[in-house]
Amino acid sequence: MAAVEVPTEKWTGKVHEVTLGGNGRKSVVVGGESTLPFLHFEGSLPHRPIIAIEVQDSEPKDWSPHLVGAWGDVLADPAAWAKKAVEYGADIIALSLKSAHPEEANTGADEARKNVDKVLSAVDIPLIIYGPGVAEKDNEVLVAASEVAKGQRVALGNCEEKNHRTIAATCIADGHVAIAHTPLEINLAKQLNILLCDVGLSPDSIIMDPDTGALGYGVEYTYSVIERLRIAALGGDSMAAMPMISPAGAESWRQKESRVAEGVPPSWGEHEERSLIWEEITASIVLNAGADIVVLRHPKTVEVIKATIDKLMSA
Amino acid sequence: MSRFIATSAIRGAHGVVKQAEDMLKDALEKFGADVPVVFVDKEGVGSTYYLPVIYGYSGHKVEKLGDLTWPLEHAKSLLAPVPSDNLWLPYLGEIADAGVATFFAEEIIKGIEFVKGKQPEVHNGYKFNGPISDPQTRSWGIQLVDGSMPGFAAVIGAAKSNEVAVKIVRELQSKGQLVFLSSMSNGRSIVDQLLEEGVDLGYHTFTVPYGTDTESVVYAAGFASRAAFSFGNVKPGNWREMLLYNKFRCFAFALCLGPMDDLKWATGAGAITYGFPAICDTVVPNILPTGITKYEHVVSMPFDDIPGKDDMERAERLIQRCIEVRGIKIKIPKVDIPVAFGPAFEGEVVRRENLRAEAGGKGGTCFEWLAMKDMDKVQDGKIAIVGPNLDSFEEGVKMPLGIVVAVAGRKMQKDFEPVLERQIHHFINGAEGVQHIAQRDIAWLRFSKSAVDKGFGLKHLGVILHTNLHNDFGAIVDKVQITLYTELDKVEELRDQARGVYHERDARIAGMTDEAVDTYYSCTLCQSFAPNHVCVINPERTGLCGAYSWLDCRAAFEISPTGPNQPVPKGRCIDPVLGEWEGVNSFVYEHSNRNVERFTIYSLMDSPMTTCGCCECVMALIPEANGVMIVNRDDYSMTPCGMTFTTLMGTVGGGLQTPGMMGHAKLYVTSKKFIPVEGGIKRVVWLSKNVKEEFAEELKEVCEREGVPDLMDKIADGTVATTVEELLPFLEEKGHPALTMESII
Repeated sequence: MAAVEVPTEKWTGKVHEVTLGGNGRKSVVVGGESTLPFLHFEGSLPHRPIIAIEVQDSEPKDWSPHLVGAWGDVLADPAAWAKKAVEYGADIIALSLKSAHPEEANTGADEARKNVDKVLSAVDIPLIIYGPGVAEKDNEVLVAASEVAKGQRVALGNCEEKNHRTIAATCIADGHVAIAHTPLEINLAKQLNILLCDVGLSPDSIIMDPDTGALGYGVEYTYSVIERLRIAALGGDSMAAMPMISPAGAESWRQKESRVAEGVPPSWGEHEERSLIWEEITASIVLNAGADIVVLRHPKTVEVIKATIDKLMSA
Repeated sequence: MSRFIATSAIRGAHGVVKQAEDMLKDALEKFGADVPVVFVDKEGVGSTYYLPVIYGYSGHKVEKLGDLTWPLEHAKSLLAPVPSDNLWLPYLGEIADAGVATFFAEEIIKGIEFVKGKQPEVHNGYKFNGPISDPQTRSWGIQLVDGSMPGFAAVIGAAKSNEVAVKIVRELQSKGQLVFLSSMSNGRSIVDQLLEEGVDLGYHTFTVPYGTDTESVVYAAGFASRAAFSFGNVKPGNWREMLLYNKFRCFAFALCLGPMDDLKWATGAGAITYGFPAICDTVVPNILPTGITKYEHVVSMPFDDIPGKDDMERAERLIQRCIEVRGIKIKIPKVDIPVAFGPAFEGEVVRRENLRAEAGGKGGTCFEWLAMKDMDKVQDGKIAIVGPNLDSFEEGVKMPLGIVVAVAGRKMQKDFEPVLERQIHHFINGAEGVQHIAQRDIAWLRFSKSAVDKGFGLKHLGVILHTNLHNDFGAIVDKVQITLYTELDKVEELRDQARGVYHERDARIAGMTDEAVDTYYSCTLCQSFAPNHVCVINPERTGLCGAYSWLDCRAAFEISPTGPNQPVPKGRCIDPVLGEWEGVNSFVYEHSNRNVERFTIYSLMDSPMTTCGCCECVMALIPEANGVMIVNRDDYSMTPCGMTFTTLMGTVGGGLQTPGMMGHAKLYVTSKKFIPVEGGIKRVVWLSKNVKEEFAEELKEVCEREGVPDLMDKIADGTVATTVEELLPFLEEKGHPALTMESII
């Protein structure tokens, strides 16, 4: 058989490396790629993509029975849940301070401190801490969480344009990493990175979440934005060269295909299997686009995605 | 640089350094070098940043009394001789050195007083706060960084009266400023004044009484240092970064009330090394040029000379001037009006049944006029109503109304006036129960009964404009004052003046040519769905969506320097006829993800601009007619090229370069730079009827300008031709010029 020469691209840029954890806690490093995802023949991929498992600070009320069934009693206790997540193979825990949402229990800084402290003590892997997604409350609970986690180098999210100064300031003060979230737009993603660096946060303390948007609209939007950011990074744009995170789990479980059990065409298939496929496919798509961290919900998905990453990294 | 200030400051520094030296010698003898030196507040909560000013400037850690020796020696080494009478040009560097020496000495003195148990100060039975604790620094520091707290004011001395003292503090608090209180004037301290008036002082009211001595001002500097360590990543010892951080991020200033003395000047010099200016309410020399601080260094505003009907108004103006000198941007959290406010109400219609009063519209007199003024001519937040208010008019009546907005700002430009004025429509429409249509002297406002019943009055129009101009345009606007006129003769008089201004503006924009500027602006707002599309906006062609003119982009860039509208330097001209420049090409190449290598701004056929998907019109070549057709988004009919607008859009949109096809704004049809390479308006053989109607007058002028006054009658539209077969006979019958022009291909 004739030898085929594989054409390779000579990239000039490289993704920033971001470290989470350390200081007595296990640490993980993400980023550092000098080529597109899994093109081992072309460049270096020094760190494998990692899996975060979502843990909420209070028992989720709106979760699918299939998720509730898979986790069982631990859902009522974030520390137990986090420990279980470690058993299921989480590289990091994504703790969501959902109870602070005004439409949930509207808890405040004290509750956030307590829960962050609990989870930090329960596990020795790094943490991502998400606020409830309401700007004012995010600032309140994330600043408190940041203080409790000082020195543990956690990631705080979401940091958006409207609250970026607060999150950046608290990250600088306590040595954390900001998750810069922007709505599906490469320029907005870059702009937020620039703004964060202007405030004084260093580029190795930023992870981007370029958004999964509305999956129902078509995941190609997400794929394209992640991919283009990565191409820009490899092309030498250092303000696009932050590692990326994708909340693939939460996004797929809120789609109607995952939520609706009855009254759908039979061709959609069995509900649990369908939900799992959605989560698995979403996660593997964003990984192939260039995501460095995927946040997942179902233990089964974790297993599948772990195996997928193993294969993709072994080439 | 003022010789007077320099001399006082350097003399003051000598004095305080000597005092520190004496105290340290004495303390070392009494307590020994190993006794610990720790700063704590009145609750006993301390700091891990040693003596923060010394630590910040030098990286030197003071933990015990003996550690104070080096800072003292360093302070001494910074002292220049007091300028002699025949030295006329004292050097700024010597004053800055004197300032640093003073802060060192003051911190040393405070350290020794802590050892002696004399800090935080107790005065007349009242315990002062002393230095702010670390937890409180963190909590306020975050607010300083995220802008929810604009800055701090170090108030030094005592106000003219107790009432003025209270007013000053209230004004500062209302602007979200932290207030630090120190020192005395004529034996009185502002803290005494506030306590006598029963003002609650402490962390919970954002007021911190440091002490009755001038030395305690150093605590304010220590607070700034610690904020810079925590939130600015400033490393101890890196004094340059310390200055830059505080200058650009920490909006602090000193407000000196009452007579100045040498130590106050020396301390003020220290503040300047942090980039903090001083405003004095007495007669002192001004130091106005920008240097270490962002704007002025020392500003004198003798209290009794401040214009105002009473001391309260004078105090208000004094604080306003402080805000201005420091360049503090005010954010107002909420539009404070009795009805709801938000984009949800923008499309709301006030119908006749629910109409309480209206202004403008058919037969009415109403106008709005925003003008830029000098800083000292605008009183921020002032809303005046000249004439009767809404509720004095009979129900359903048409009232005369003139909305006159005066704005001032360090970065404001005359050219931004129309950009801001156009926002009045958008802002006022946000109020529930208020409808706003059009602009300038054809503005039309309607107020609903329910809004007026809830208490909505004319004043609230001012509140809406003041709040939103600050919040959305704070980058260019520092002060906003609104006057509302409701007396017919006055409204007419001012409207006529405003008309003169509208006319001037129109003339200026009409005269604004591509040749007259060296920079165009980009717009990449649409890259979310058209990743390779870049709009380049020149004075004679607005963005293809019709929403962004060259001036809008320039203002948008000032407001958001990292935003989607960036300056595009034209660079070397490659071809003046095609409109091709090196700078434009390289900008487009870089920002189109290296997809579009060159593009011209004057040609449809040779490398035309790409289209995102927002264009108001699509232009397409009709080879058979040797011309172009233009179809508008609101025109649903079939067109002679065999495609509807939607189908054409699919062909041209998405950031593709398609010679012979191009998206553009409706207004572009009237531009002098309308496809000049292909021959301009004479090439148009088909044009959507609604555009013909909407721009009838403008198009008439254009045709006359181009020497073809009857051209509009020769251009077809959907009512006469929707196929080429129908189009050609029409053109021939009318004798359309395109048929005899040179071949377009």
